[in-house]
Amino acid sequence: MKILIGVIETPGGEMLFTMDNGVASLLPTNNDIQQSYPNYHLLKNHSLKIQNAPISGTGVFCFRYGPVMAGVKEAGSFNLYTYGEKILRASVDLSWKHRKIETAMINKKPDEAIILAERVCSNFAMAHSVAFCRATENALKIPLDIETKNWRIILLEAERVYNHLNVIYKLAGAAAQKVLAAHLCSLFEEALRMNECLTGSRYLMNTNMIGKIKIPQLAQIEKAIAGYQQILATFEQLYRHSLNNSNYLDRLHISGTLTQKQVEGFGLTGPSLRACGIQDDLNGTAEHLIGLPVVTQNEGDALARMETRAEEIVNSCDYIINHLKVSDTWKQEPEKNKTGHISGEGCGIANSASGALGYYIHIEKDIIRRVKICTPSYVGMHAVSEALKDMVFTDFPFVFDSFGIYFSDAAL
Amino acid sequence: MKWWPLYGVRKKLTEWKTYTSPVIVQPMDSRLFKRSLFIYIIDTGSSNALNFEIIALEAPQYNTHRFGIYFTDSPRHADVLLVLGRPVEQMLDPLHETISQLPNPFGIVVLDDAPDDLPPADYSSLPNLMAVIRGVPSPSEILGLLLDLSRPKKLQK
Amino acid sequence: MILLFWVTLLLFIIGALCSLKPKLSYLFGFAGSLCALCLAICGFNHSENILNYPLTSGMLLSIGIDHLSALFLLLLSVAGIMLALYSVDYSKLYPQRTLSIGFNISFAGMLIILLAQDGFTLLIGWETMTIFAFLMMLPSGRHFEHSYKFMAFGEISTVLLLLGFAVLYENAGTVAFSELSKGSVLFLVLVSLGFIIKMDIAPFHGWMRGIYGEIPDNTAAILSAPVTLMGVYGLERIIPAAPKNDPWNLIIIILGAFSAFWGGLQAVAANKVKLLPAYSTVENNGMILTAVGLYALSVKLQSDQMKYLSVFAQAASIILALSHTFAKTLMFMSVGHAKEAYQVQTIDQARGVWSGVGKIPAIGIVIAALSFSAFPPLIGYSGEWMLLETLFQSYRFPQGITQFLAAIAGVLTALAIGLIGFAMIKLIGYTALGFDHGRKSVPIPKKLMNFTQVILQFLLVAGGIGLPAIIMLIGYPQLLTGLLGIPAPFVLASGKPIFGVISPTFIAIIMFFLLAIPFFLFQSRKKKVRKVNSWNGGIPLKEEEYFSAQAYSQILEHILRNVYRTREVKSETHRRLEVEDILTAPMQFLTRIVQKIGEGEALVIMNGKISAYVTYILVLFVLTFIIGVAFS
Repeated sequence: MKILIGVIETPGGEMLFTMDNGVASLLPTNNDIQQSYPNYHLLKNHSLKIQNAPISGTGVFCFRYGPVMAGVKEAGSFNLYTYGEKILRASVDLSWKHRKIETAMINKKPDEAIILAERVCSNFAMAHSVAFCRATENALKIPLDIETKNWRIILLEAERVYNHLNVIYKLAGAAAQKVLAAHLCSLFEEALRMNECLTGSRYLMNTNMIGKIKIPQLAQIEKAIAGYQQILATFEQLYRHSLNNSNYLDRLHISGTLTQKQVEGFGLTGPSLRACGIQDDLNGTAEHLIGLPVVTQNEGDALARMETRAEEIVNSCDYIINHLKVSDTWKQEPEKNKTGHISGEGCGIANSASGALGYYIHIEKDIIRRVKICTPSYVGMHAVSEALKDMVFTDFPFVFDSFGIYFSDAAL
Repeated sequence: MKWWPLYGVRKKLTEWKTYTSPVIVQPMDSRLFKRSLFIYIIDTGSSNALNFEIIALEAPQYNTHRFGIYFTDSPRHADVLLVLGRPVEQMLDPLHETISQLPNPFGIVVLDDAPDDLPPADYSSLPNLMAVIRGVPSPSEILGLLLDLSRPKKLQK
Repeated sequence: MILLFWVTLLLFIIGALCSLKPKLSYLFGFAGSLCALCLAICGFNHSENILNYPLTSGMLLSIGIDHLSALFLLLLSVAGIMLALYSVDYSKLYPQRTLSIGFNISFAGMLIILLAQDGFTLLIGWETMTIFAFLMMLPSGRHFEHSYKFMAFGEISTVLLLLGFAVLYENAGTVAFSELSKGSVLFLVLVSLGFIIKMDIAPFHGWMRGIYGEIPDNTAAILSAPVTLMGVYGLERIIPAAPKNDPWNLIIIILGAFSAFWGGLQAVAANKVKLLPAYSTVENNGMILTAVGLYALSVKLQSDQMKYLSVFAQAASIILALSHTFAKTLMFMSVGHAKEAYQVQTIDQARGVWSGVGKIPAIGIVIAALSFSAFPPLIGYSGEWMLLETLFQSYRFPQGITQFLAAIAGVLTALAIGLIGFAMIKLIGYTALGFDHGRKSVPIPKKLMNFTQVILQFLLVAGGIGLPAIIMLIGYPQLLTGLLGIPAPFVLASGKPIFGVISPTFIAIIMFFLLAIPFFLFQSRKKKVRKVNSWNGGIPLKEEEYFSAQAYSQILEHILRNVYRTREVKSETHRRLEVEDILTAPMQFLTRIVQKIGEGEALVIMNGKISAYVTYILVLFVLTFIIGVAFS
């Protein structure tokens, strides 16, 4: 399926950054093409204030949550229009976290800018660096060996595991399931330690480079295999046990429901899309050694998003364990000669824990001149704004946390 | 069926080790905070790694509650303000407003995760500044710092 | 006392005649109320017959004073003194003649009601009060039909009283109060209903909704406090003297408790600054009715316990009536002061009275509202807890059905107190103590307004702390005792043997020490105090971010949406919630029918054609001629 990831303004005209069956491409635009992407206008006007129009009425006021808030521990604010308990409109203000990272990348070399890419949203550091590297490699026609490709996928799945654990931990905590939350938090910490074991960084930072990746030592790999086996076994038991708790499931059920039409309208990808029953093929890209199963649910509510993530944790842990076991068999190819391109334009997509993350990059003489970062959290914030309509305040954490999106990723 | 609370206790998830702070700090007031230190988090422009490390600090492996270290939901209940990230311009006013809400005595710790190639920022205008840490410290290091703030070394058991 | 009575009546009449000068008119009203107070004090422990005027054989117009009349006259006169002085300043905002005439004559009517010793005199006073209260509201607002609804309910009440006394005349050959014991159950029911309707008991309260927002505040205060007090007086007069009827007493207990619950429920959803106190009247009068019913149920029972309980229940009804009269008068005065200063209608618009209008009306709203919320040691707390204590002792009643229904009444009363507390916090939190948003009040004359509010505030607080003195004054010293180290007579015991106790004096002393000690400690330490903004996520609140009064009650309006018939009216950019008082539906239905009949009559019969009117005159002439011939 074809999804619009971003709208790129270039001197030569507007380009559409699309993803088709996991493959990124840049298409020239025209009115007809714009019509076929319902989220075109949303992406073109990359506004830092989402759904900003106020609602009037007797007793209607704007309950502002943020920018300093204890619930969502990031700088960002929600303007919740309400006449009491019910949220009539949720307007999201991303401007508090806008760090102008795209601007900071301009006039830097790709090797220097990769650090900035990892700092857009450090819990998606691997996805950002992979997407950035793919865009650069695509622009400069840099070939990749199979080992780099496979390790990137393994580490992307490692990133998915700890991010999903974090989301489910937050949902359990919001539902007052303290024991479940405590166990999930311990698994989350173990997953971060596995990251450190494999890469030396708890957030998989400083691992990816243009055209290559740091490969872990064998001892580290063996320790990681044991660690992921332990995480997998414990999580499966916990998850199965949690499904017996009707209080917990009831809090998530019918919270923040989005229909298929709505998610397609926003151009959502990742678990939020798959929770509505739509199979996106991001997992089945040619980059994967063996395709991961695509997990879908049908309801499109917070429970479906949680269940999708839980099953993905199991599949990803399995994938990591199986591929770590055979990682030493990947042929160590001699380093391929770089093609020597120093200018070019390219795009790259990575499968972050919350959906497709894309980079467009234009390089002239080894200096970045234009960059566009298209994150799943930006469209996710639009989806959250829509999903919060007609919900009550008490369901706010379930709706927001279930999308697994972050202000740092949305605001750039 | 496992009884999960007991299972967790039997698993002995809590680690017993010495936590070392990445910087040297003086205790704020060892009489007041040695069994009770309340922390308020403010994100002023971090890359989210620091936020996740704070979440990780809540894990049973660290079990901050055994040291009397808690996170609060309001700056008015806080002893220490933990500033996450180098403040962006639009977060300066909220930061100062948050600081004005802290009751005396209080301390401020800044965790600055800006890239190393950027020059260090000047935090001297912040009142009661106890420490500035560059980079993303691990939860162990953050816990070590908090323990150093709240009690003398010999009582960190 | 005969002289005092005539002087009082004369002063009210002169006050009405001086209506061209409203200030003078109200000053005469004040003088009249002062004389009424003297009359009440004189008559407190000394009954006297003031006037006997024979009408036809067996019918005597008789006026006199006894302890019960004096007690209620005391309450009425204090309210009258305060309202008259308040109205002196208020008349500069509302100088209409009809207001001052209506004020004086309706008080004169109430004086006659309280001193009447027969049904006919009572009815004269009743109708005078009703008509002149109607006169006070006549020029208000654009919608006359609201004031006509009040008149309709008033006339229903009069008709029921008329029928009741007619039945009494048939039973006893007279309508004198001395022969009430000869009345039948039908008399009791009709007359009770007449008084109950005047007390605004649900479901007879429907007329309030449209009119309360439009009438001047002194009118609202009169309708809410003194007028409903007449209904209470009527019940207190009739019920103990009339033959005891347990089923009817149980009915009025449940009706009263339901009315209290309904008043509290609707007060929660009320957003107009005068509608909330109006529903509080329904709630309070419901409680008074329950207390009267319990008193009626227990009076004439033989055991010592029940005798004690009946006295306690009667005392509860009187303390409730006292607290309601003073607190409601104060509330309408203070709310009216704020409303006129701000020129607004809703609670949301009337925010920040403390800083925007003045401290005295703000304190008035706070004290009156806390009194209604049963906050110790105010007098309202005493009244409501006395009622609850009476209901707790329902197990003492011999019949199971009585115990069961009294328990139901207890549940409804407790819910009512909770709901009205919720509603009063809304009023205090937004109107009295809320942020004023920079609102500026218009300058209004307020010296006497402030003076009267301060007096009533003092009475509510002193009445609460000095409850033992009030109990002794109104003639129930046997209820006071000492217990657990608290010396007599500071403890009001609710049962014999002691069941529960109420001691607002003791509570006041404890509260004082618990407040004073930390306060002095704080002052003596000389700690530096730092003022900060309220914490709102790091940035100051904008104007549109303040929590609205409607949002405060919306949680209950949502949970009880089937009771409130809550529905949302929405468009893309505009949303609001609407709620209903479903008990007003029958009245609205009747109003529509009456309107249709009226319209039909106007179109068909009074059609404006000269020929039709000439025909009517001719028909009447012929009929009169025929009837005259037939009778001669």
